Amino acid sequence: MEDLESLFQPGQVSTREETRIAYSRDASRIQGECQTVVWPDSTDDVARLVRWAVETGIDLVPRGAGTGLCGGATPQNSVVVDSAHLRHLGPVDIQTKQIVVDAGIPLDHLNRTLHSEGLFLPVIPGSHRSATVGGMIATNAAGLHAIRYGRMNDWVEEAVVVDGKGDVHRLSFNESKYVVGREGLTGMIVQAKLRLAEIPRNRSLTLLRFEHLEDMLNQIRSLKTNPSLSALEYLNPQAAVVVGWAAKHTLLAEYQSGDGEIMDLVEMATLWKTRESLSARLTHAGFPISEDPQIQPETQESILDWLTVQGIPVFGHLGVGILHPRFLLADPRIIDLYHRVITAGGQISGEHGMGLKKRQWASEALKSDIVALKTQFDPHRVFNRGKLC
Amino acid sequence: MLIDLNENPTCTECGLCREVCPVFQIQQREEYSPRGRAMLDSAGIQTLVFYQCTLCRTCRIVCPVGHDPSGETLRSGLIAVGEETPANQVMIANIRQYGNPFGPLAEGEIPKTLTCC
Repeated sequence: MEDLESLFQPGQVSTREETRIAYSRDASRIQGECQTVVWPDSTDDVARLVRWAVETGIDLVPRGAGTGLCGGATPQNSVVVDSAHLRHLGPVDIQTKQIVVDAGIPLDHLNRTLHSEGLFLPVIPGSHRSATVGGMIATNAAGLHAIRYGRMNDWVEEAVVVDGKGDVHRLSFNESKYVVGREGLTGMIVQAKLRLAEIPRNRSLTLLRFEHLEDMLNQIRSLKTNPSLSALEYLNPQAAVVVGWAAKHTLLAEYQSGDGEIMDLVEMATLWKTRESLSARLTHAGFPISEDPQIQPETQESILDWLTVQGIPVFGHLGVGILHPRFLLADPRIIDLYHRVITAGGQISGEHGMGLKKRQWASEALKSDIVALKTQFDPHRVFNRGKLC
Repeated sequence: MLIDLNENPTCTECGLCREVCPVFQIQQREEYSPRGRAMLDSAGIQTLVFYQCTLCRTCRIVCPVGHDPSGETLRSGLIAVGEETPANQVMIANIRQYGNPFGPLAEGEIPKTLTCC
């Protein structure tokens, strides 16, 4: 590994035990093995590192904040490339509502900076406090407000990526499909030009509780006709009790208008904070396995009913059909869920990605797609080797 | 299944604590984040990294499950196995000998160095 250290400045490469342990897994807690960590300071650094990887045959695993839940940033005796030094923010273009940012910028940091301009990046995953722009692009993040703002692919005007040959590509909006949602399989995202939205002037919230699932789903059809609806979050009875709420099917409906019942900012913030704490609380309560199926409205009732009858806590972005059922360790019902979702025409991964966790569940079409992209961008299999292909 | 999940009894390893940690803001390395320290503790590692904590406990405030990484406890574990930074040794020796962390001071003398861990 001496050769690698000679390529960078002191402090940019570490092989010490403490570093290797801290980078051996991401928030999925899927255990891997980290050989070395490199902190590139620039696009040139990443390109140099890739050329080294091609020569040595050692694979690279790009990493943002390590908040992923599928082992996408878990190394397999790999070199981890941490984007923590790539944190430059360009000036905001007020006219076009765009900004150029480095991949290592955390979302909340970006949005705090943009606040004075009245703008924000409206893709808000649950990990927004730490999640980086690069990681959000790689997973095509959706999150709490996807029903109004869509996913990351709607907001990436341009992406700069270093591919598996060490070549730098500046991909336009139409070409960004080669990196957005590709889980770092085609290269490492180093910079992006992002589209921004105006911060809504009005917000309000309604908390709805239902005894019967069918009644709730009927109500959702009505709620979705309101054009100011900006979030529609669901908790099943088992999830609601974990945050101290009544054991009912619960909806948090947010509006960018005064249509909601709660308009007090503190009260709304408290409810959102409670909702956002749910994931970690469920992990702490013994349900550490987070799934993320995306299910069409017509099949949601049967799958939600099955999950609730099974006593499985579920929450999620029901407005766009993404659910987060939580399972016990090594719970055999996870496989049952996958079969049910596939049979229902849904996707087993709605927003977390496939990572290490679901690689054997990739469809033939997806595998074929990835193989074609690998041939084009990463023929030496430098990036995320063993994930999806 | 292929998945070998790591057990960590106290920290969910979600990583939401990283950005509020003043040490992580400077070091920008996972092992210096509250999550990283919890991972090292979970692995049974005794390391001087545990001294790289200001004990501000902001991480506890943002932690969704209220986990307190308890920097004092981690350091106590280090002391128990005789692991200390040289600066810490000097500081403690000075306190014992001179009643202050700076060493011998004349009346009214302002310390020239602030010894810290």
